[in-house]
Amino acid sequence: MSSKHHHIAVGEIVPLSYLHRGERAKVVSLHNDNHALRRRLLDMGITKGVEIYIKKVAPLGDPIDVALRGYELCLRKADMAEIMVEKL
Amino acid sequence: MIVALVGNQNSGKTTLFNTLTGANQKVGNWPGVTIERKEGHVKGTDITIVDLPGIYSLSPYSSEEKISRNFALDANPDLIINIVDATSLERSLYLTTQLLETGRDVIIALNMYDLVKKRNIHIDKDKLEKMLNTTVVDISAKTGEGVDHLLEHIKTHDIKPNKHLNIYPKDVSEALKSVENDLKLADVDNTYFYAVKTFEGENDYRKHIKPESEKKIEEVVKKYDMDGEELIASLRYDFIDEVKKECFTDEEVKIRESQANKKATSWTDKLDKIFLNKWAAIPIFIVIMALVYILSVGLVGGLTVSFVDALFNGSETIELNFFGVVWEVPFEIAGIGPGLGGWLESIGASPWAVSLVADGIVAGVGAVCNFVPQLIILFLCLALLETTGYMSRISFFLDRIFHKFGLSGKSLVPFIVGVGCSVPGIMACRTVEDENERKASVILTPLMPCSAKLPIISAFAGFFFATYAWIISLSFYFIAIILILVFGIIFKKYIFKGSHTTFISELPEYKTPNASYVARDVWDRTMSFIKRAGTIILLCSVVVWFLGSFTWQFQYVDGELITINDSLLANVGMCFAWVFAPMLGGNLSWGAAVSAVTGLVAKEEVIGSMTTIAALAGGEADLFGPLDTVFNFFNPITAFAFMTFNLFSAPCFGALGAMKNELGSNKAMLKSMAFLTGFAWLVASLIGSVSWIITAAGGSI
Repeated sequence: MSSKHHHIAVGEIVPLSYLHRGERAKVVSLHNDNHALRRRLLDMGITKGVEIYIKKVAPLGDPIDVALRGYELCLRKADMAEIMVEKL
Repeated sequence: MIVALVGNQNSGKTTLFNTLTGANQKVGNWPGVTIERKEGHVKGTDITIVDLPGIYSLSPYSSEEKISRNFALDANPDLIINIVDATSLERSLYLTTQLLETGRDVIIALNMYDLVKKRNIHIDKDKLEKMLNTTVVDISAKTGEGVDHLLEHIKTHDIKPNKHLNIYPKDVSEALKSVENDLKLADVDNTYFYAVKTFEGENDYRKHIKPESEKKIEEVVKKYDMDGEELIASLRYDFIDEVKKECFTDEEVKIRESQANKKATSWTDKLDKIFLNKWAAIPIFIVIMALVYILSVGLVGGLTVSFVDALFNGSETIELNFFGVVWEVPFEIAGIGPGLGGWLESIGASPWAVSLVADGIVAGVGAVCNFVPQLIILFLCLALLETTGYMSRISFFLDRIFHKFGLSGKSLVPFIVGVGCSVPGIMACRTVEDENERKASVILTPLMPCSAKLPIISAFAGFFFATYAWIISLSFYFIAIILILVFGIIFKKYIFKGSHTTFISELPEYKTPNASYVARDVWDRTMSFIKRAGTIILLCSVVVWFLGSFTWQFQYVDGELITINDSLLANVGMCFAWVFAPMLGGNLSWGAAVSAVTGLVAKEEVIGSMTTIAALAGGEADLFGPLDTVFNFFNPITAFAFMTFNLFSAPCFGALGAMKNELGSNKAMLKSMAFLTGFAWLVASLIGSVSWIITAAGGSI
């Protein structure tokens, strides 16, 4: 992903979009400004405390396929920026 | 009895629907195949099954998901079959917890049980039934296993009544109960469901809630340090975690989890390493799409067009075109047209009757049928792209590009489906979540050359570009893609401005296509093309023939005293032939004008009309041939210009109707139509002017 977010230390709290392939993180909070999107993310199981694994990255770097709760989901980076996570 | 099928996308609802009703609805391997509700009957019963678009929750996100929510909640089905994908139980059960909060009876069909067994996952069905407090039946919609059992439950209504599964801790339950009581007093239907919704913060029923209940909600929400919406969602998932723990044997859960975590273990992951590879993905995609084209139009098209044409119009030799290498093969056949014409003459039919059959019907319909063999291959390739799961990958990796141009990766599905036919393509735009991206996709889908436009491309390119025909034809698909991207960005900048866009999807697993489904799909699409040739194209050809065969004074055009230029058709066409003059290098051609307009009925009719007119004028269905006196002015440049206009101007009435539905108004549809036509006219005219300038300067083309 983007070169400006190289080293994310374990325990650091960052938007999910900062993580690289193969990394995992725990959801800390969801932003509130886009209600429909937030609702959808909640429905898809992105709730506080859930573990997310960055599984596949599209060849052009966006969108990204993440694994959570035993299934996979493709998200755009812009949407992932709304999810604050703690790196594991 | 009305039974609704509700479940996640790509969970096998339509497969089950087909098994239950014996119908043949289209199934595919991408999320969002079903975009409308469809009904079918179970034979020998009064049971009506309603297949609904896939949803993840009862808070719908895209327009097709609203159809499902509204049906499940408001249409009062007698029973809901909640189809649960046993291979991803967690996500599927989220919707289940919501369904169990409605007042409807729910039976759970645990689908893909064959896969579960194969992967050695154990699901304790009895425990699951107990925890969810409803009836659970394990089935495999694909193999039909367990479907009889499910049907038996439905017939005898042997289903536990829905007693509103309560999955919440005590404090939340109490707040909910208080809200529910307020709603009961206000005479609201489905009180428990709306109590939860109100707790989540939905405003529809807020006015009925008493201050005490409001206070209770506030207290609970504060205690958990989340808003109502997040709290309910995470409690649902907590409950599901509990179910998972209880109903999956521990060891299996561990294996499953470790598999999900390890890199590239499954087949799907291995294939994705290649198909989604950073460097290889796009070259592979281009090669696959080019192969589709080369195989259908290049190979099969080149080898069959002349043969089918000979069947209709008779011939002594046929041409086999193998990518520009042409063999003339002796093949003597009278052909249907001349054959029927000769027979009619022999029984003493009048010349106009002979002409109606040979020049009108057989020439017009035949011109369209020439393309059936290559369409079969095209439809086969499209069906393979759809059923293997590759199409979803294309959406996934092109999203980055499409998003920049105001579209969604999901727009790719309409564009690929649109290569077959614009109508299902336009309807497939419903899966695009963002309203602006969806509308842009609807307007731009008709730019993709559909199968009905293929006859136009092939007829012109085949004659005017001979050996390079396939390159010219292929170029139109690239031009279409470039136009789509250019318009996308214009729309984003000036029309559908400023919005936050989302792309949420899932990558389905790769699957070996089911041969009978693929065959069925190809058959359906091919038959619908042939059916059109036998109905609308036939009718249109007769009308064109009639107008081309008679004058205002109702005199028959005999080709000697009265020529086709005196016909009704020529007179009508001349009124607006000037519009087409610029793209035809300054030629005033009523024939081209009329043919382009008949393309509104169906695009292949452009060639149907031209062939009929050429036949009327020259006595043989020999478009651009030596006997053709109407269209002999075409040169490669004007041919290219005329193709450009017909391909990118307003689509046929069928597609315009679909656009109207998806854009929501006649006005929006007419605007899009005017926009597409205006643009196509401008570009075609610019190209056509080149020919004008060259000839004016004394050059020849």
